[in-house]
Amino acid sequence: MPPILRFILRRSLFIPLSFFVITATLFGILMLAPPEARAELYLPPRLPPNFTEEDFQRLIQIIIRDHGLDDPMPVQYVRWLSGLLQGDWGYSPALDGEILPSLLARVPATSELAIYTSLFFIPLGLVSGVLAARSRGRLIDSAFRLSAFIGTSIPPFILGLWLLSLFYVALRWFPPERLSQASGLFVSSSGEFTSFTGLLTIDGLLNGSPDISLDALRHLALPVLTLSLSHWATLGRLTRSSVLEEMERAYVLAARARGVSRSGVVWRHAFRNALVPSLNSTALSAASLVTGIYVVEVVFNFNGIAELVIRSVSASPDIGLATGFAVFSVLLVLPIMLALDVIQAVVDPRIREGVAS
Amino acid sequence: MRAVVRFLSSGPSLLGLLLVGLFFAAAIAAPTLAPDYGAPDAPPGLQRAGRAIDRTPHPPSSTAPLGTLPGQWDVYFTIIWGTRAALRFGLGVAAGAAVLGTLVGLLSGYAGGLVHKLTMAVVDGFLTFPALAGFFLIERVVSFLPEAGGVIVGGIQADPLMLTLILFSWMPYARIISSSALRLKQADYIEASRALGARWTRVVFQHILPNVISPAFVLAARDVGGMVILSAAFTFIGVGASSPWGLLITIGRD
Repeated sequence: MPPILRFILRRSLFIPLSFFVITATLFGILMLAPPEARAELYLPPRLPPNFTEEDFQRLIQIIIRDHGLDDPMPVQYVRWLSGLLQGDWGYSPALDGEILPSLLARVPATSELAIYTSLFFIPLGLVSGVLAARSRGRLIDSAFRLSAFIGTSIPPFILGLWLLSLFYVALRWFPPERLSQASGLFVSSSGEFTSFTGLLTIDGLLNGSPDISLDALRHLALPVLTLSLSHWATLGRLTRSSVLEEMERAYVLAARARGVSRSGVVWRHAFRNALVPSLNSTALSAASLVTGIYVVEVVFNFNGIAELVIRSVSASPDIGLATGFAVFSVLLVLPIMLALDVIQAVVDPRIREGVAS
Repeated sequence: MRAVVRFLSSGPSLLGLLLVGLFFAAAIAAPTLAPDYGAPDAPPGLQRAGRAIDRTPHPPSSTAPLGTLPGQWDVYFTIIWGTRAALRFGLGVAAGAAVLGTLVGLLSGYAGGLVHKLTMAVVDGFLTFPALAGFFLIERVVSFLPEAGGVIVGGIQADPLMLTLILFSWMPYARIISSSALRLKQADYIEASRALGARWTRVVFQHILPNVISPAFVLAARDVGGMVILSAAFTFIGVGASSPWGLLITIGRD
């Protein structure tokens, strides 16, 4: 088996472990609520209209007995987890629907944001970090450091508001939400639009209607920009300092002495070594990227997962949906982390061979 | 002393010190800078400078030096009092996360072996979790508790958002401290201390802790600001309402 496959397999073993740790924690939090509150997770979708308060209390007691909500915590945890794994995530009164399918329906929107943001800020952060390191102390470097400083200082949700008021309210270039009304109608109810991937930018091309893709891109521009700025700044700074650190090493001097050009040394030697800490920190901040995506979804009315959950639940204490949302978020972060780990392994043989560096 | 002189003679550090000092001064002097008239219907950190039914924002005047929002919320008042709330929140979360992470890191690093590996697995597990979703759940669970609106920890009413952010931000501290403690454990002076019969608590807290703690301060300094921004963002999107600054922006947008 090629080492890279073995590496992916080994890293995949880590996924169930993380999932176990985090679900156990979430369940511990959930168990702080009294059984009566947790019983609401198992309420039937529709109650008869003549249902009185007393009937309701009796039903809650029956649910507590039937589902063993008074059992010891580990027993309940195993039961709950096996329910989750079998796809039984429960019913949400706030959404008036099953939790898992409702969340799954919003995954394409959220992942489209995540994908475009990553494709935007990661290459940009790496390249600008290297360019700044190469021209250390000169104009490009100062400009980079100033803009990175600004990038990490502006809270993303404020930046989102500024961008909206400039590019939407004033200039009308880039609207919020995911599609404009006409394209939205065409996609959802004309019957001519097949959803292949759920990603509108790609589906538009596959369906032979590039105008849909363009419209989707127009709606993605501001959220992606908002999300990218702070992540770009962090990644760029880290890359800059890692490259500078690598440039001090003896192997760089040796390469220069052999006659390798200055940019050859930077890109082929220093950059490759600096890539690992940069990507590693990006992988470690994958969870905060997802939190950022959630915030941006709400700011831009971009109908992804968080927009659905936060908008529909804000008033009612829908614990089932909140739990489902929490568990689902882990499932969103894990693939991002795995992907970044794999890229690191491709770049650095020490990682894929499992040699401690 | 020489370090202090060197610090004070550098332009950027002096500027930084000035800015931080300004924030602390605003937070401490809030009651003098922006007297609280004790409006009954105002959330903490907000204050009306006029009548609530007046929906038009007003430009700066003598009662509201930075103008008002719809509903006559005083912008200046919230900026000053929000500084106090933000500092308390940011310092609280950063300190909580730093203490928790440092403890976990120290113990796992000193124990080494399987304990260290297992702790790192737990750390990695927590790293995959977006704090927003965690807070969203905790906010809901807390609403079912008898003392709704707050969790009592050691007799102190704690903000659930603070607890959530601590719960989901201690991992970087544990990671960094644990790996340095693991390395330091092999040092000769640690072995000497143990040979002299020092108890493990003394070894860990007297000898290892001072030598591994500095990155925790750097991380915590960065976290203070990050946590304030995060809490304002949560308040702004309608998840929790603990940040006056976030509320101000929400009202301004509406």
